[in-house]
Amino acid sequence: MKVLIIEDEKELLNSICSYLGNDNFICETATDFHAAIEKISLYDYACIVLDITLPGGSGLEILKELKKQHKADGVLIISAKNSLEDKVEGLKAGADDYLTKPFHLPELSARVASIIRRKYFNGSDTITLNEIALNISSKTVEVNNVLIELTRKEYELLLYFISNKNKVISKNAIAEHLWGDNMDLADSYDFIYTHIKNLRKKLLNAGCSDYIKSVYGMGYKFSIN
Amino acid sequence: MKLFAKYNRINLFATVIIFLLSAVAFYFSLQYVLISQLDDSLETEKSEIEKYVAEHKALPEIFAIKDQQIAYTPVEQIDFKKHFNYVTLVDTVEKDKEVFRQLTFGINVQGKYYKVEVSKSIEGTDDIIKSIAIITFITILLILSVSFFINRFILKKIWKPFYATLHTINNFELNQQNPIVFQPNNIEEFTSLNQTLEKSINKAQQDFNSLKQFTENASHELQTPLAIIRTKFDLLIQAETLTQQQIEALQSANDALQRLSNLNKSLLLLTKIENKQFEEKVTINLKELIENKLIQLSELIQNKNIHVTYSLEEITINMNSDLAEILLNNLLVNAIKHNVPNGEIIINLSATQLQIANTAQKILDSNKIFTRFYKAEQSAQSNGLGLSIAKQICDAAGYGLSYSFNGDYHYFTVRL
Repeated sequence: MKVLIIEDEKELLNSICSYLGNDNFICETATDFHAAIEKISLYDYACIVLDITLPGGSGLEILKELKKQHKADGVLIISAKNSLEDKVEGLKAGADDYLTKPFHLPELSARVASIIRRKYFNGSDTITLNEIALNISSKTVEVNNVLIELTRKEYELLLYFISNKNKVISKNAIAEHLWGDNMDLADSYDFIYTHIKNLRKKLLNAGCSDYIKSVYGMGYKFSIN
Repeated sequence: MKLFAKYNRINLFATVIIFLLSAVAFYFSLQYVLISQLDDSLETEKSEIEKYVAEHKALPEIFAIKDQQIAYTPVEQIDFKKHFNYVTLVDTVEKDKEVFRQLTFGINVQGKYYKVEVSKSIEGTDDIIKSIAIITFITILLILSVSFFINRFILKKIWKPFYATLHTINNFELNQQNPIVFQPNNIEEFTSLNQTLEKSINKAQQDFNSLKQFTENASHELQTPLAIIRTKFDLLIQAETLTQQQIEALQSANDALQRLSNLNKSLLLLTKIENKQFEEKVTINLKELIENKLIQLSELIQNKNIHVTYSLEEITINMNSDLAEILLNNLLVNAIKHNVPNGEIIINLSATQLQIANTAQKILDSNKIFTRFYKAEQSAQSNGLGLSIAKQICDAAGYGLSYSFNGDYHYFTVRL
């Protein structure tokens, strides 16, 4: 699946590409407005990660161009501005989601995955990974075809892990995903530990393999081969 | 006291004093002049009597004349000097008692001595003085009322530019975009006042704007480098060969990065509230919002084993939804964070106010509590912007936010 990253900051671009790159995505890049317009006209992408402020023009113009060409590419805006107008205008102009810099790569990856799911797997809203099946619309999880009871946070956590499988996710990234910036670091680490412990217990009890690994001092990893 | 009132008071006081003094002076000088005129005519009467006696060797006959009386009294010898005095006599014509000016002198009519008393009524003089007093009084009243009206209308008109300037300043806020403009006027003092004000206010506005611009730009410019560091960190931890030491160092760096990001986010939020970028208002059910927030924060609350009691009325407000959410979040997180283990939080919502109280031991400095970067105690957990943001949100929404302490609880009150 092809993803286009439009971002003028080269180092950020590299980071995004190398994270998404080993996630079954093929990353293409554009670092300015004109290169971006050229690429979107020539190819179709599953998802476009779009920076608003670009040399040569605004990211919002690219959105308009996509609309004009009747392209169905999913768009995730990444902006340093975090201004409400940008967000509203971007979403109005056809973007699917909006993420403010600085973001965590697992967050970006989860959002991109979610956009692609919405765009391309409308009919089947179930993610299947070995014995685990997640139903996106009903927010339910089955292990070996047996429904397991998860709290909302546990479900979100599992979906986040699955969107970032085989990656180490830092505790900070998990905390921000679950609570936004309402929480203090020290507190949220304890909560993460509790949620993960409970989630793991529920999965194991349902006969699921032990996928969630703790990476000492750093975070957690959902390992699946 | 208004300038007019003060001016009027001084003016009135001075005018009345001057008029009273001059009336008194006028009264005495007039009386003096009139009495000396009376004395002159008494002297004339005396010399006429003396002339008559010299010619006819006898005293003239006495005729009853209005306001004048003459009396002769035989005496042994003239042992008194000619003198003037006041006496009360019965007027022969009008038959009532009146005050008379009397001249007493002695006269020798062919060896016989007489005391002659010539008297003239001073009633006429009194009448003149009375009418003068009345005229003076009326004049005072007239002048006072005229000057009152002059002050009231003309002064008001003259000071109009001054009040216009005051009005302009009162309606001006530093954070508005347009420079301040005063109404032009043709009075030199006011024009120069306006110019001075215009200059200093515009300078303050420029400074304010450039400071705001600086904060905004700095925060925006920081976002991208922060994003790069964060993404590099997310990539770096994927490496499987990290040693224990490296992992610990990385995690500390990441925590610090998180704090930096949060700080930057808060600063950006502050500038955005200042720049009025949260104008869109919606109807918000405060009760619902508080209940949702409590659910969101339930883990934090349980973690400290805090007991929450609340009494919430069905209140809706018209406010920006993002700001309402941030305001409640900051106040509630604050009440949890600065609470004691097993402490209490009490929330009261009525039509007039929202009050959030939490168990506490020490009073906070109410003068500093809402200023940026103020921390009651140095802690890495807080950036000292939470309450400052809450205050800014309340200001922008036109609500009052205040703090009080009663020995056991901190109270934060939002007056709706």
